[in-house]
Amino acid sequence: MISDLTTLLFFPGGLSMLLAGMAFTWLDRKLLARLQNRLGPRWFQPLADMVKLLAKEEVVPAGVNRLLFVGLPVVALAGALTAVLYIPLWGLPPAASFPGDLVVTVYLLSLLTLCTGLAGANSGGRFSLLGATRTLTQLFAYEAPFLMALMGPALVAGSWQIALITAGINGRWLLFTQPIGFLVALIGLMGKLEMPPFDAPEAETEIVAGALTEYSGRGLALFYLGRSVEMVLGLTLVAAFYLGGLSNPVAFLLKTLGLLLFIAIVQSLMARLRIDQTVGLWWRYGALLVLLQWLVLWGGRWL
Amino acid sequence: MHTNEHTQKAETFIVPIGPQHPALREPGHFEFTIEGEIVTAASVRLGYAHRGIEKGTESRNWVQNLYMLERICGICSHIHATAYCLGVEQLAGVEAPPRAQAIREMVAELERTHSHLLWLGEAAHEAGFETLFMYAWRDRETVMDILEALTGNRVNYSANLLGGVKYDVTGEQASKIEQGLDYLEERTRHYLDVVTSDPVFIQRTRGIGVMTAVQADRLGVVGPTARASGVVRDVRVEAPYAAYTAFPITPVLAQAGDLEARFVVRLRELFESYGVIRRILANLPPGELVLKRMPRRIKAGEAISRVEAPRGELFYFIRSNGSDTPDRVKVRTPTLCNMASVLTLTVGRHLADVPMILVGIDPCFSCNDRGLVLKRGADHEHWTWDRLRQIGLDYYAGERGSGGVGGTSISPAPLPPCPPALLTGMHV
Amino acid sequence: MKIVTMLKDVVRSLVKRPFTRPYPREKQPAPERLRGKLHYNPEKCTGCCLCSMECPANALELITLDKKEKRFVMRYHLDRCTYCAQCVQNCRFGCLEMSPAEWELAAASKEPFTIYYGNEEDVATVLAKHTGTDAEPPG
Ligand code: SF4
Ligand code: SF4
Repeated sequence: MISDLTTLLFFPGGLSMLLAGMAFTWLDRKLLARLQNRLGPRWFQPLADMVKLLAKEEVVPAGVNRLLFVGLPVVALAGALTAVLYIPLWGLPPAASFPGDLVVTVYLLSLLTLCTGLAGANSGGRFSLLGATRTLTQLFAYEAPFLMALMGPALVAGSWQIALITAGINGRWLLFTQPIGFLVALIGLMGKLEMPPFDAPEAETEIVAGALTEYSGRGLALFYLGRSVEMVLGLTLVAAFYLGGLSNPVAFLLKTLGLLLFIAIVQSLMARLRIDQTVGLWWRYGALLVLLQWLVLWGGRWL
Repeated sequence: MHTNEHTQKAETFIVPIGPQHPALREPGHFEFTIEGEIVTAASVRLGYAHRGIEKGTESRNWVQNLYMLERICGICSHIHATAYCLGVEQLAGVEAPPRAQAIREMVAELERTHSHLLWLGEAAHEAGFETLFMYAWRDRETVMDILEALTGNRVNYSANLLGGVKYDVTGEQASKIEQGLDYLEERTRHYLDVVTSDPVFIQRTRGIGVMTAVQADRLGVVGPTARASGVVRDVRVEAPYAAYTAFPITPVLAQAGDLEARFVVRLRELFESYGVIRRILANLPPGELVLKRMPRRIKAGEAISRVEAPRGELFYFIRSNGSDTPDRVKVRTPTLCNMASVLTLTVGRHLADVPMILVGIDPCFSCNDRGLVLKRGADHEHWTWDRLRQIGLDYYAGERGSGGVGGTSISPAPLPPCPPALLTGMHV
Repeated sequence: MKIVTMLKDVVRSLVKRPFTRPYPREKQPAPERLRGKLHYNPEKCTGCCLCSMECPANALELITLDKKEKRFVMRYHLDRCTYCAQCVQNCRFGCLEMSPAEWELAAASKEPFTIYYGNEEDVATVLAKHTGTDAEPPG
């Protein structure tokens, strides 16, 4: 009982996860800044942002469904934190596991996006509404290729259970045998986190802050935290699936950070895609390429 | 009732941009009617940054006005001062010494460099290309440092004086400037390469916001916006001022008329600027910096002064009644001429292209906010547009005989004197 | 066609120092011509008032105590000054100059923004006159 509680509240879930999320957010911002030859924020900046936001008044716009407005950020963060349990954080075996938990995890991770979209639609402002439309459009664009890309390793391991997949990979670096899947998974993750160049849903020069325009204070803080946590989870998942499964925490952390550097570089290199361009990119290239990879995998197995 | 409202809303979904919006650094208000992501109608309202500068000039002396007019725009401050100085010198019947004119031109071209690099960053930011934004602004620091070393300020250089300039170029500075230009030239070449070959960026610029030469002519756009559509409109070439006869530039043109062309034109213009600055540094005419005697009272009369600001033609009309303050100063800034093109070009495009098209004209809001005060005795009612137009027509018909309005010539025919009853102030 | 055009810049920046200047921890020397705080030297002043007449911001007031004795006090409003150097240009006797070193001029109160230049006793006389009345005459 007590150990369950620690699992949920402190490690690997709960508090430690929030801190890890903030640390990764800081690192991402810092890396991006350095890539742009800037100084970047100091280490406590995300923490300071959170403290400030949490201390601020949460303004609920008139005419919205209050329950939804306040509840959605909580659900979003809760979804991300629940997913923590099934993910091999820091290269350690996941805290919980059951057959088919990969699919559940992926959907838990999508909860954040879904909540963001709903929150935008619920807040009723024009920018929120446009942002929500774009968020959900983008969700449908990257979700399928992302899931398919994560299934590549699952096919190899012959299981839908994260613990078994990582065990089945057994130290092999699928990055080399399934490079397309790796790229699609990583870039799909960037789409999920609405990072540039996939930040059309929150393009500040067009629609202010997109779906979250009306959010302030606590709600905004929770959404941000949710996204930070999701970044850690996503990177962990990709590292575990494509960069040699479970390993000792230090090596695993290094791999994750390597991935972070990679996505920071990608972020820095591109202009924002329009939402129609994003959708086109995913369906025309992402999905087809992953399908191709599957065919190769199946073919390889039967040969 | 409620549902009714909702369906109506669904039919016309209007996205308001401004007066406070992250895409705008200055206040302006746009309304874009969209269907899905496509813009179907656009309108603009300006006037949020009205400062009454034109009216203000009437209560300051000629010298004081120089510094106030310099502050119309924070980016192209020097060119405003130059336009004003040239106009006042013309009225006074004097001419600044050649060395001063050359330095004026040099500072103007340095200012153009800083303005275009600033714009490059700004445009990249609108496209979500933060890295290009940061690098462009980093390199812009080079020219800012040059300007600061040359004149003592980064923004309002105050290099001009009535009848000359304040600051000379020393040999040491000249070599610093040369060095800076070498670096900038290399970087500009790189950015030109980026904006013409980066596939993601091109997706956001190529074929977007296309304005044909005919359209450009009809919309009356000026500056790089016009030149990107293949229309040669450059005061430096059409009516050289300052030292542009001695140190001419070649206008840079592009034919495509899309956003990419506007990037290319502005960046290629920078090479022209670098070249002309180098030539000025090498052949700076000797002599005085400022006239020995500049009158405090300016002879009565009217003058028009046109210069090429970084954003296009800048127009000054100055009237003196012989006292030590101007009777009237009228400023027309390039953004006002270009604004109409934004409304035309955004219709039918994606909402995501709107900020790009807007930034494509390099808008500057604070310098185009005007109020028009018409006074006719004690008549204080609100006048309709039609009525205003009728007054204008009557006025021109009366003053200039038939055919006084509607000329197509772009050469600066002197304006008819404004009847005091009609136009008491139209100010920035 | 290149895939990414800014890769070189980006990768190079990883090993470069950030361009951001760590002001105020590190201060850069200002250029010689920087137009900072104005200084007035009463010695050569003739009281012609050319400086204050064309100051666009009305930041200068020349208080003449005794024209024959050349006793002048210059009241300079730092907060109104636009640092245009027109006054420096106008003074034919070189009484005015702008310091390139003094440019961090922010203050939390209004007092430091009104500066009296002149001989000590003259300034004292002027100040004594103004005590009790509003120190800021209509400008
Ligand atoms: S620098 Fe300009 S604003 Fe300042 S006191 Fe001199 S003339 Fe006035
Ligand atoms: S212009 Fe010079 S001499 Fe004349 S009053 Fe001013 S400081 Fe004195």
